[in-house]
Amino acid sequence: MKARHIRTLLIAAAALAAWELIVRSGLVSPIILAAPSDVFLAAKKDGAVFLRAFLITVTEIGVAIVIAWTLGILFGLIVGSSYLVAAATAPVLSSIFAIPLIILYPLLMAWLGVGPLSKVVFGVLAGFFPIALTTIDGVRAVDRGYLTFARSIGATRLVTNTLIVFPLALPAIVAGLRIGTGLVVIGVIVTEMLASLGGLGYVISYHRSLFDTGHVYFGMALALLVALGVNAALTRLDRRIGHWRLRQHAECDS
Amino acid sequence: MGAALAGHLIFAALLFGGWELAVRFALVDASLLPPLPQVCAILWGFLHDGAFIGDLELTATEVAVAFLIAAPLAISSGFLLGERLHLAATFNPVVHLVLAVPQSIFLPVFILAFGIGFLEKVLFGITHAYFIILVNSFAAVTSIPPALVAAARVFGATRVQVYTRIYLPAMLPLILTGLRLGMILCIIGVLLAEMYASRRGIGRLIFGWGESYQIPELLAGILLVSILTIIVNEAMRLLELRVARFYRSAAGS
Amino acid sequence: MPIIEVTGLAKDFRSGGAVVHALRDVTFSVDEGRFVTLVGPSGCGKSTLLAIMAGLTSATRGEARIEGTPITAPLPDKIGMVFQDPTLLPWKSALANVEFPLALRHVDATARRKRCTQLLDLVGLSEFADHYPHELSGGMRQRVAIARGLAQDPRLILMDEPFAALDEQIRTRMGHDLLEIWERTGKTIFFITHSLTEAIYLSDTVLVMSARPGSIIGTLTIDFPRPRDLDIIGSESFGRIRNRIWHLISEPQK
Repeated sequence: MKARHIRTLLIAAAALAAWELIVRSGLVSPIILAAPSDVFLAAKKDGAVFLRAFLITVTEIGVAIVIAWTLGILFGLIVGSSYLVAAATAPVLSSIFAIPLIILYPLLMAWLGVGPLSKVVFGVLAGFFPIALTTIDGVRAVDRGYLTFARSIGATRLVTNTLIVFPLALPAIVAGLRIGTGLVVIGVIVTEMLASLGGLGYVISYHRSLFDTGHVYFGMALALLVALGVNAALTRLDRRIGHWRLRQHAECDS
Repeated sequence: MGAALAGHLIFAALLFGGWELAVRFALVDASLLPPLPQVCAILWGFLHDGAFIGDLELTATEVAVAFLIAAPLAISSGFLLGERLHLAATFNPVVHLVLAVPQSIFLPVFILAFGIGFLEKVLFGITHAYFIILVNSFAAVTSIPPALVAAARVFGATRVQVYTRIYLPAMLPLILTGLRLGMILCIIGVLLAEMYASRRGIGRLIFGWGESYQIPELLAGILLVSILTIIVNEAMRLLELRVARFYRSAAGS
Repeated sequence: MPIIEVTGLAKDFRSGGAVVHALRDVTFSVDEGRFVTLVGPSGCGKSTLLAIMAGLTSATRGEARIEGTPITAPLPDKIGMVFQDPTLLPWKSALANVEFPLALRHVDATARRKRCTQLLDLVGLSEFADHYPHELSGGMRQRVAIARGLAQDPRLILMDEPFAALDEQIRTRMGHDLLEIWERTGKTIFFITHSLTEAIYLSDTVLVMSARPGSIIGTLTIDFPRPRDLDIIGSESFGRIRNRIWHLISEPQK
């Protein structure tokens, strides 16, 4: 093991110890800050419950991601292919983006109940707007020269859009996917906290109302795991696609 | 721009027209989707209802206080980090980590620590607004071309003049964007906190209507909040554009 | 034997409420297998004329014909194009880029690979078949674009200032190599450029276009024997021709 890693581990261990002391000594109330030992105990005691909740949340997020990506990208590609439609639609999407979508959740709750469906629908809504917007921008940013080239070789509209425009717009689209997916994750977890039958948000909320701070922190740690995990995966994707975006603009005249 | 206006009008027509049609042709249960006129009437009633106005004022106050505390803090932090880049090297990873983390998830902890009153809402709002404004302010400071500052110094500008004549105009557009995003996030944070656990406030009202299936009131509330936030957003965006255009033309001269 | 016939071509379009006359009564013909260049001041409508000849836009009056057929839409199997920007697809290798128009036509993979490898060899890039556009210099990318323009074996190649973005030395080299390619393939080339030197060096005939509204104000036959050495550029007769064209262009319009 590298010295650098050992050092990080030692610092982490020291931090945990300090954290434990701060709570045990009464410096910070155990209701506000759970000691690492409390979190560990909570995990041991109700690990199965949390696991089930974790799986529910991850499933809801997964489904919402697939739908939001598909709808957002398709919508963005179609709208983006026309200058006029894009010019009329993008501002509308921006305006809607400014509305705190969370206030729509009670409506979804009333219409669709408090089960996974309302969470998935909300997640899709949360992710759709940024993805659609960045896709539109990405498509419009494609150099006109490529469109002229496509026409000169007799490519149909469909071929031009799928084989030329879409790959060219991909780096911008992926950047939007990062933002949008982050919003999907938050959206699902937060709505689970507001009103749900299951899922991480629900479990966190439940234990908060009982002041089981250890459980709350454990739940939050799992939620953070999901959020950061998704973010990391998308950053990887962004970087890989971004690589050849940078190359696209690399000038090397020799 | 004409297209943007047309787009908004078409969207509004589709939304409200579709709504009306769905009601007329009873495509949806009347209890799930009440007629638009009814909802508008209720909305109108809200604006004359003392209790409702009270809740609206409370929410607005929470947002305003949170924003007015977060904004100057964030701008000065951003400025400080931008000026002292060694500090930035230490804090930037922290800031980016925080931004990657969805702050809304920490709501239960805020409630455990601060209860469900005014203070908790304001603090929650502050955390939402602070980081995004910070990032934008930092970007604003670091975007100033050093050549510009050097040139000003050569022409004998004093420290104050450099700050007001060069830094400020150059930073303003980015800072304004950060402020607008910060405002949006602040509103989202406060509303979420109210919906989750609160005794009063618009968020509480809206969530309550949802829980008790009072759909007409719920729709009226959603409509009102949507309109208000769009107005705030557009107003701030117009300010951004105005300033950007002004300083672009000034920079050209 | 004229392969291209342009008769009384005129093009008007609206710009900000006013009518702009881009081309006015353009008439000329191009014999098969010739290298013809069009020169003229900036903004005189050269690119518009090329677009009409390529079938990318329509004329307001008059017509353009290839082998007797009116040109109303792109004819990829008869007319190939090379633009100022190579517009290569960044995620495809050089070979794949050259193959692209043929792949769209569902030409058999083995046949098109063979043909396109030959084309890359023709433009001197056989070692770079698997390289990506970002790994190639500007001049090399343009060579790939030329190979791509030849992929469908068109009778006519239209070139819109293809070397304008390259620095002078490369540009001269490319011109020389283009002549070799032209001599080996026997295509008809219609070439647009700003550079009088390039025009005279490369072509059999130079068409001189007036300022907007563009019309042909001069047709010069270039007699230098082929294959042409770069040395002729410094010769006296070259300079005389250059002066003639320069005077034609700079004469005030009546």
